Amino acid sequence: MSIMAYNGAAIMAMKGKNCVAIAADTRFGIQAQTVSTKFQKIFELGPRLYIGLAGLATDVQTVSERLKFRVNLYELRENRRVKPKTLLSVVSNLLYERRFGPYFVEPVIAGLDDVTSEPFVASLDLIGCPMVTEDFVVSGTCSEQMYGMCESVWSPDLDPDQLFEAISQALLNAADRDAVSGWGAVVHIIEKDKVTTRTLKARMD
Amino acid sequence: MSRRYDSRTTIFSPEGRIHQVEYAIEAINHAGTVIAINSKNGIFILAEAKRPSALIADKVDNEKIYKLSGCMVGCVAGITADANILINYARNQVQNHLQAFNEPAPVEKIVRQVANVKQNYTQYGGLRPFGVSIVYAAFSREGGFKLYHSDPSGNYASWKSICIGANSSSIIGTLKEKWTPDIDLTGAKNLAFEAYCKPCDVQSISSKNFETMVLTLDSDDKPLFQALGTDEVENLLKENNPIKAS
Repeated sequence: MSIMAYNGAAIMAMKGKNCVAIAADTRFGIQAQTVSTKFQKIFELGPRLYIGLAGLATDVQTVSERLKFRVNLYELRENRRVKPKTLLSVVSNLLYERRFGPYFVEPVIAGLDDVTSEPFVASLDLIGCPMVTEDFVVSGTCSEQMYGMCESVWSPDLDPDQLFEAISQALLNAADRDAVSGWGAVVHIIEKDKVTTRTLKARMD
Repeated sequence: MSRRYDSRTTIFSPEGRIHQVEYAIEAINHAGTVIAINSKNGIFILAEAKRPSALIADKVDNEKIYKLSGCMVGCVAGITADANILINYARNQVQNHLQAFNEPAPVEKIVRQVANVKQNYTQYGGLRPFGVSIVYAAFSREGGFKLYHSDPSGNYASWKSICIGANSSSIIGTLKEKWTPDIDLTGAKNLAFEAYCKPCDVQSISSKNFETMVLTLDSDDKPLFQALGTDEVENLLKENNPIKAS
């Protein structure tokens, strides 16, 4: 059994018109057993910058803590917030440092640029290879199902409400086709002036 | 003084002093002043950023007051290059604590860790001490508003109000006279400017030379750091400048 499938996860981020969305399931399980239905996999690193981490749960927590460490120091020294693009580089560096004994996480970044408010989504593999896309990124045990769903429901320039519908449907239905993902979901819609967080009513199985 | 006992930090003089450490402290008395005053509802810090030349670009970075964490600032007086090393170290230690304990680092711990680094350079290695005094201002749920000061010897203590840098002894005299336990933030601001202006040459005081920091609690009871606006600094200067009274 793959170490990346030990805990299970479904995370995705999508770009919209002047907004981005990031969503994740909230299951924490140990192989077949579900231990918690309120496990946090998306972390806030700035007022409009979020990172979602799929993979081994202990590494999800450790990587988010180590990342917060680096981002805090960055902000203290530079006296400004970190840009999404720069965060991508920071995460990439953090993961590649462990190239031959990696953290078992595959992160997904979603945010708006601090100055221009331009939407940004990106993902990385467990050793830090960055990938920036113009539409959506997915990560987790049901990534293939998520790719299929996103490809069907996403279209360019969705407004925040449409984006919310799209990402919610994509996540819920993909996670329902995966035994170790689901058991609750959370969605963050990030716009220029606010972030809306909603918990989805999901199949609890 | 016994000159032959002052070239190494690793020896005491016959009077029981380490001269290198004292010379380091002396170096700080030539640096820009920092005044920090603790009051019932916050801490006020006034720092003089010395401008060695008119060609220096308008202030982009802080030179005296540095944020160390969400609830702590450090203000330095002395050799700026030395200060940068210690501030960087303090910031890293704060993050280390946050990573290990998932809670804000307690100020006393950080003060102690930086002080221990400073002490190292007074006992081992034959390297000179850091020529920096640091004043820490912090808020914590357990301790409220606190002020700490550490000097090049590695000694530190908690203070009600403190001054380091140029004219510090006369300014501390004013603070000792006028500080009361029920002083409020406005009183602290005025006291700081009054204490600063007293020993100063009037012509050289300009509001552009000051870095200020007010540490209070916001409406959610979280620590809030703000610098004073230039207008407020101008007003406080005008009100507390003794020459104007005549």
